[in-house]
Amino acid sequence: MSGGPLIVQSDRTLLLEVDHPDADECRTAIAPFAELERSPEHVHTYRLTPLGLWNARAAGHDAEQVVDALLRFSRYPVPHALLVDVAETMDRYGRLQLLHDPAHGLVLRGLDPAVLVEVTRSKRLAGMLGARIDDDTVTVHPSERGRLKQALLKLGWPADDLAGYVDGEAHPIALDTADWQLRPYQEQATEQFWAGGSGVVVLPCGAGKTLVGAAAMARASATTLILVTNTVAGRQWKRELVARTSLTADEIGEYSGERKEIRPVTIATYQVLTTRRNGAFTHLDLFGARDWGLVIYDEVHLLPAPIFRFTADLQARRRLGLTATLVREDGREGDVFSLIGPKRYDAPWRDIEAQGWIAPADCTEVRVTLTDAERMSYATAEAEDRYRLAATARTKLPVVKALVDRHADDQVLVIGGYLDQLHELGEYLDAPVVQGTTTNKRREKLFEEFRRGELSTLVLSRVGNFSIDLPEAGVMVQVSGTFGSRQEEAQRLGRVLRPKGDQRQAHFYTVVARDTVDTDYAAHRQRFLAEQGYAYSIVDADDILGPRLPTD
Amino acid sequence: MNLTLTDALRDLPDDGLVTLFRLRPDLIVPVPADLSALAARAQSRISVTRAVDRLDRFHLEILDAVRLAEEPDGIAATDEVLALAAAPAEGASAAQVRAAIHHLRARALVFGPEDAMHVVPTVAEVLGPYPAGLGRPGADLAPSTAELVADPARLRRTVLSAPPAARAALERLATDGPVGTCADPDDHDSPVGWLVSRGLVVAISLTTVELPREVGLLLRRDTGPLGTLHPDPPPVATPPVDPDQADAAGTAQAMEAVRQTEALLEALASEPAPVLRTGGVGVRDLRRLARTTGLDEPVAALLLETAHAAGLVAEADADAGGDQGRAGGRHGSGAAPQTRPTGSYDAWRSAPLAERWCALAGAWLVMTRAPALVGQRNGGGRLIGALADQVEQTGAPAARRAALRALADLGPGAAPSTEELLGLLAWRTPRRADARRETTRHLRTEAAQLGVTGRGALTSYGAALLAEVTAPPEPDRDPLGVRNGADAGAVAGTAKAASVLERLLPEPVDQVLVQADLTVVVPGPPEPTLAAELELVTEPESAGGASVHRVTRDSVRRALDAGYAAEDLHALFARRARTAVPQALSYLIDDVARSHGGLRVGSAHAYLRSDDQALVTQVLADRRMAPLGLRRLAPTVLASSASTTRLLGALREAGYAPVPEDTSGAAVLVRPRGRRAPSRSAAGVVTDPFAAPRMSTPRLLGIVEDIRHGDAAARAARRVPAAVRHNGRGDGASQTHTEAMAVLQQAVRDRALVWVGYVDAHGATTSRLLRPVSIGAGYLRAEDERTDTLHTFALHRITAATRDA
Repeated sequence: MSGGPLIVQSDRTLLLEVDHPDADECRTAIAPFAELERSPEHVHTYRLTPLGLWNARAAGHDAEQVVDALLRFSRYPVPHALLVDVAETMDRYGRLQLLHDPAHGLVLRGLDPAVLVEVTRSKRLAGMLGARIDDDTVTVHPSERGRLKQALLKLGWPADDLAGYVDGEAHPIALDTADWQLRPYQEQATEQFWAGGSGVVVLPCGAGKTLVGAAAMARASATTLILVTNTVAGRQWKRELVARTSLTADEIGEYSGERKEIRPVTIATYQVLTTRRNGAFTHLDLFGARDWGLVIYDEVHLLPAPIFRFTADLQARRRLGLTATLVREDGREGDVFSLIGPKRYDAPWRDIEAQGWIAPADCTEVRVTLTDAERMSYATAEAEDRYRLAATARTKLPVVKALVDRHADDQVLVIGGYLDQLHELGEYLDAPVVQGTTTNKRREKLFEEFRRGELSTLVLSRVGNFSIDLPEAGVMVQVSGTFGSRQEEAQRLGRVLRPKGDQRQAHFYTVVARDTVDTDYAAHRQRFLAEQGYAYSIVDADDILGPRLPTD
Repeated sequence: MNLTLTDALRDLPDDGLVTLFRLRPDLIVPVPADLSALAARAQSRISVTRAVDRLDRFHLEILDAVRLAEEPDGIAATDEVLALAAAPAEGASAAQVRAAIHHLRARALVFGPEDAMHVVPTVAEVLGPYPAGLGRPGADLAPSTAELVADPARLRRTVLSAPPAARAALERLATDGPVGTCADPDDHDSPVGWLVSRGLVVAISLTTVELPREVGLLLRRDTGPLGTLHPDPPPVATPPVDPDQADAAGTAQAMEAVRQTEALLEALASEPAPVLRTGGVGVRDLRRLARTTGLDEPVAALLLETAHAAGLVAEADADAGGDQGRAGGRHGSGAAPQTRPTGSYDAWRSAPLAERWCALAGAWLVMTRAPALVGQRNGGGRLIGALADQVEQTGAPAARRAALRALADLGPGAAPSTEELLGLLAWRTPRRADARRETTRHLRTEAAQLGVTGRGALTSYGAALLAEVTAPPEPDRDPLGVRNGADAGAVAGTAKAASVLERLLPEPVDQVLVQADLTVVVPGPPEPTLAAELELVTEPESAGGASVHRVTRDSVRRALDAGYAAEDLHALFARRARTAVPQALSYLIDDVARSHGGLRVGSAHAYLRSDDQALVTQVLADRRMAPLGLRRLAPTVLASSASTTRLLGALREAGYAPVPEDTSGAAVLVRPRGRRAPSRSAAGVVTDPFAAPRMSTPRLLGIVEDIRHGDAAARAARRVPAAVRHNGRGDGASQTHTEAMAVLQQAVRDRALVWVGYVDAHGATTSRLLRPVSIGAGYLRAEDERTDTLHTFALHRITAATRDA
């Protein structure tokens, strides 16, 4: 018995005891192949999944290394069956290769003829494969490159795509590093992406994913298509690119609902691409509009399903996915793996935070007790109305006000899901409300004021979940959410985690109605945040509403 | 001088006989009356087969050598054997051959002095007529061949002149056995036809040919008359693993197997599997169990079979379980038997891990089951379920023992590949290895799954278990045989294996890590009290070397229901947690405790309500109402343990004016009705027993025929000899089965009439006068002269046979 920091469970989870002296070394050893699932204070949980093992294999790790890491750090003997299974799973990746054959074009080569026979007989691959060249090579219709990889992944034989990429139309792009530097992990992420060809870089919100994108563009020095979630995020990209690279504003086009510009670097929104007229996608021409050398997908975990379909046809171009999490609510992680590429870089949030790039956040749940009248109307409400009733209880208003007052010298965002409540809050706090129907112009104006500090409090609807950049928000108060969605939580938390000028503590408050479903959803959130390793505390609303303590 | 085995045994010293009994224990079960009986048993086909089956390849080769060295009078000299086996270049050393002969003599397969050895005649029957793969001497086959082989020079010339194809056929017959088949030996143009025409092989039937011994010997002149000998077992090329690593891997797997079995049986307990009409657990139920426990189906089948063999699972009527109240309501489906964990499962669960494993692995070693068959299709194309009859395989324990012992004999850490192990087994017990091939292959995976082997090598505790479980029983230590079966869960005498495993298992822990996401991590196997506490207070989430549990609202409520107070839970976590208890957990416990018991549930038969509080109080205070068990639930509501009718009656009697109400609160007004006895049916139609039956003539004729038939049978039975008639009734005239067989065999030869007593399909003993035609494959075929029909009787049903006088 070695007494190592790692415990290997039979359900393929790995428990890492954080306080163990070898914990850091062990973390480094297992990070390439195991996915960090939870990181609460004492024991972090990693999981071994086929996708994770294949990701590791794609990054050049072999089964021997994995087994060795497990054996070396494991506190208890590792079940033999698990080791065998790890080796077998990893061995499945790359038995099939997609290659570019000078004579026959795109071909699928089986290093193990039996595997090739197995997959060619599969119904899933019907119509994707062409003529058989010899025992271990089959031609592939070039248009099926993406779909073939998807199908092979489903069959459990993920193919190694070595068929290479088109260079695309060259366009000089350089980083303008006069007054800033790429952070080491950004550099590393770019490096690993480039070496792998295509793939996904996983970095938390606020860790500078845009800069990784810019660095990749500089490496490619080719025309680039950037796909983002919405117009605001697109403008944010544009601002960053103009500031950080040699690109000028004229070289960057916006392709959105408002403008349809196609320039050497074009930023398009998912929404405009997935717009349909008479059942047909009307903006598909964009993908063929130029000879793109690089396609960047921002927020891969939100990539709408149709984009996957378009991406399947883009397999000959380099693709970079950027995201804070690979976990998709719809479970299509496999499509990200096969169509955009394996994970190329991943840094645990806590590690980046320890490096000082992200402000540490202090998460607090404030429990308010509903008035008797509110409790009564809650008790008699239909099940589908209950959450709304609990979340929008008027009792929350004074508590929010007290919280805003408490952080009077800081920038505060109040975020919620119900418009009525937000307007009430807006009036109560005397703060402007930004919601879905707010025009982009007004939005940008408000954000700009907020950024400059002219506005200290802003009430946001669900539009605040995604890529808007509010660097100076040190405090966030959440009054209602979408049934405790984990993804939403990560996004919202990301808002306050952006690096700030000084090293102030970020605060994340959630106001919750006691003894209602609101508390149950809060429990989800609490679990999620605790799993991410954040300090989480629960306080009573009376403590907030009471006189301010002199020590605070 | 012709020595018999009886004489040879008589000449043996006492310790020689002791050795013999040790090597062939079946000779003394039951203890033979005298030496001639012993000799007869030692020469019986079944005993010789057993003895020969246990010989390794080299001993079989030397036994063949002795047979080959026999002179026509049946005597072989050791020197002759040495000349055959030890002289050629590819032979064995003289010492090895002598040692082998010594072993054969010790087993009484060969007897007599060294210069005049006899082989027990039954050996030829068991091993077949061709010792060392050589045919009969040419002189016994055909006159032309006899001439040819008598002239060695001519023989050699003829062999050398054979065309290549014919030569290949000859070589084939010389190495693979002297008898071969070919389409048409008389076709002179074919290679075999050429050989037949030259007398080099002899056609012994329409399609088979035999190679004469002399030709075979000539062809083997390079390798020696016996062909290549195999004095040593085949070497194992796969490098051995570090025994410590094998133990470590095996231990982990052993813990895993115990945990998985527990999970499987827990799943079975919460949802017992119905027993199929054909027996066992259906494939669908097995699949469900596998899914709930996250196991692969083959693993689930193996563990279920093993648990069954260990007595942890059994079939029981659904009513026999704890839910008798419910089962009473649904008679039809409730009576179906179910497979569920037994009482010993609870004992097993509370035993230390090492003992639990020994109980499982020990049961696996000796169980006559082949779990790999589960999920396969049987001959009829039906899926075989777990615990079904088709999974039975009598030879399985012996096959497991043989393979594991082969592993053990290779020394610790030896991890031969499956092919190498099969090769090794083929050398150790050539006559059995082929039939066991499949079992041995499955055994590899089963042993690995249970942790008996680790990284392909036998673990130290696995070896200890093997030695203990398969050690010859010592009847003296348990003269009444009480220990066996006393505790169904454990295989007796596995203490050593358990203690070896115990030392390898990780230390149990009593401290846990409690985290803010409400998980409780036990960083090792929990100590029993800790495990019990966690089972109550938390939900399991992940298991293995450590276990992760989650505290949820439900789990806290369960603990509160079980009698824990909120303070107890706080104290429990504070005591067990190695670090501070997170605030979230304290809040959760307090939250649940606050609402716990907020609603109260009780039972009452009737209630009494009134808007007049004073009236309600008056009723409650009324002494005449005391027997009704009234109690106040609210100022205006009383509950009673008496029924509505009684309550109404009592109130009316006391002068109150109550009105019953229905669920909606409306008053129910009833007018009293006179009571009646339950209705009964009128008297039925009386039938006349003496009236003529309404039956057709053919049917009556049929009855007459039946009666006549019975009469004839009874008359014939009077002729039946006493030995046949009385058989099975336990009086002195009964005959043993063997005697009956002997009579029948003789009757087949003589085509004589025999009275045969047998048990018919209804279990009745009957007898018939028959003329036996043949005996074979467990059946007697015989003619009944009276009916002129051919009957087939299962031999095991025949109780007696006597010649017709």
